[in-house]
Amino acid sequence: MIEIYLRLADRALTPVIVVVAIILFLRGHDYPGGGFIAGLTVAAAIELQILAQGATPVRERFGRYLLPLVGLGLFTAISAALLGMYQGGFFKGIWLKFSILGAEIKVGTPQLFDLGVMLVVIGMTVTYLLRLTEASEQRSNDVFDGEQQMEEVDA
Amino acid sequence: MNPYTALLPLPVAVPLLFAAIAIMVGVSRRPRAIQIQKILSGSALVINLVIGLLILSYTLTGERIVFQMGLWPAPYGITVFADALTGIMLTVVGLLTLLLLPYAIASLDKSRARLGYYPMALLLLMGANGAFITGDLFNLYVFYEVLLMSSFVLLALGGTPSQINGAIRYVVLNLMGSIMLLLAAGITYGTVGTLNMAQISERMGMAPYALQALIAGLLFVAFAGKAAAFPLFFWLPSSYHTPHPVVTALFSGVLTKVGMYSLFRTFPLFFPDLLVAWQPFIMTIAALTMFVGVLGAFAQPTIRRLLSFHIISQIGYMLMGLGVALTPGPFGVGFGLAMAILFLVHNQLVKTALLVGGGQIELEMGTGKLSELGGLVTSRPLLAVVFFLAAFSLAGFPPTSGFVGKLGLLQVTFSTGQYAVAAVSVVVSLLTTMSMIRLWQYIFWGKPNPQLKPRPRLAYTSTRALMLTPAIVLVALSLAIGIFAEPALTVTGTAASQAIDRAGYIEAVNPEPAPTPAPAVVQEVTP
Repeated sequence: MIEIYLRLADRALTPVIVVVAIILFLRGHDYPGGGFIAGLTVAAAIELQILAQGATPVRERFGRYLLPLVGLGLFTAISAALLGMYQGGFFKGIWLKFSILGAEIKVGTPQLFDLGVMLVVIGMTVTYLLRLTEASEQRSNDVFDGEQQMEEVDA
Repeated sequence: MNPYTALLPLPVAVPLLFAAIAIMVGVSRRPRAIQIQKILSGSALVINLVIGLLILSYTLTGERIVFQMGLWPAPYGITVFADALTGIMLTVVGLLTLLLLPYAIASLDKSRARLGYYPMALLLLMGANGAFITGDLFNLYVFYEVLLMSSFVLLALGGTPSQINGAIRYVVLNLMGSIMLLLAAGITYGTVGTLNMAQISERMGMAPYALQALIAGLLFVAFAGKAAAFPLFFWLPSSYHTPHPVVTALFSGVLTKVGMYSLFRTFPLFFPDLLVAWQPFIMTIAALTMFVGVLGAFAQPTIRRLLSFHIISQIGYMLMGLGVALTPGPFGVGFGLAMAILFLVHNQLVKTALLVGGGQIELEMGTGKLSELGGLVTSRPLLAVVFFLAAFSLAGFPPTSGFVGKLGLLQVTFSTGQYAVAAVSVVVSLLTTMSMIRLWQYIFWGKPNPQLKPRPRLAYTSTRALMLTPAIVLVALSLAIGIFAEPALTVTGTAASQAIDRAGYIEAVNPEPAPTPAPAVVQEVTP
């Protein structure tokens, strides 16, 4: 039995959290934010889904993508660093500048690196979160009675 | 730009790139996926060894390679750095990981391979390589974390209760060491206003003695803990015997030795005065480490438990080398350090050979209990010979590398007047010999136990040959170092003279003089 307010919070907040994550990701080059924090924020959104909908549907939705995400993230990050060698050195930032509707936009390998970090963080953190739920589900089935299970879900 | 400069980041980049691809491949459930992982792993290890050899061959001419990450100048960007000491470590660790690949292919069970042994071993290599080449104290901490995480996964791989037990002890005690390292990095930054190793080296002498001693103490505790020195060794014997033997062999060649390398790198660079002033302290720790380690080995009932106590005991000899690092000798100023480096390399080769051989017996017979084994000399004569040579190299008999290493260390220690420690090291050598004879006798001598039948999966000649190859190569190398001792000593002598040449290091990295003065905290602490 999952509380109604959690389900409401899930529907209302999850999109907001994801948008915040995108903003954090984009401003991360010069201001606080970046791939690591954005990744944790996305993981927080998924954790909210775990709390609101239970672990099983979330695992069915994301479970098989998590490990490939870690691999892809590592690959993206190291590729961004290796791309720099094209302009003289490992990790050398390569920037592309262009303007859309008068706004100047800079895209570069540091953002690619951040993207990789974000993917790794999402993959790892959500894996941990799902494993932790698994462990607590098992334990509550083994040891606790129904009433304590309710308390755990509330917490 | 010097082409070697472009090579320098690759020992980190190549294993990471191939590990990332291997993780993505490993998602597939088909058996082909593991085959592809093996091929990826093999290519990464070969490329890594070639790069290591190239870096070594260049640095042995007395040159240093410096690269600034992202081309940001020194104190702002992260510096990566290689001299001959780095080159030696990159090459030896690259060689060990490559040699352990056929062993893993022959002996690893499918479930452990599926859980990701191959990518994780590559990430472990990446962490070790990163710790070797980094020229930045915080970056060093980061690579220690990479090492810790990947080794934690490798330890727990398979998930038997004893493994989880060992892995948790391992990770908790090593995290404490990491916290010490982080504290040291933080206090260093607060004291000298930089984390670039060249700049730390420039400015550390100006810091008040109390802070210097605090940083040196924290770094010593952190690195000596990682290297499993007395009294911080207890994580090692409680975890090393639990995972698959290939993991133990990998750890013994890489993990503790990275801690030792960091001591060799940072102490002559940051605290050349303290290294002399603290000699009695370091020597005491060294003597206690070797003595307690070898005594512990006598009480152990299984092959790998016994050998893990010998890892600790041998770390004591390397610490002895650190204690006399700056003592001059026939091969240059840093003769003590040169001997310590030689001993480190010798130990990586021989210890891995022993663990590979011992692990093979454990895997084939299904037990590592000394009381149950026996009489294997008739059925496995080649393994018996290789194991015998490795054991006597560990004990320090001529013509092996152990003899050269121990003799040299003993000479330097005598010339510094540390007679007590020299005496302890001789006694420990004797005890090591006894322990090794005891081990060999239990495994290979006597009557075969009729109840022990070799496991059919590992009984193929080809499998056995694959598993025996690394031990043969490693023992051959140990003999080569022992017989061609002079060229080997010239190599480590170059490495040592570069490692203790602070001015050369600073000049090579060439950090910009940053305008920030040391923060006010320094003055408050000064009495």
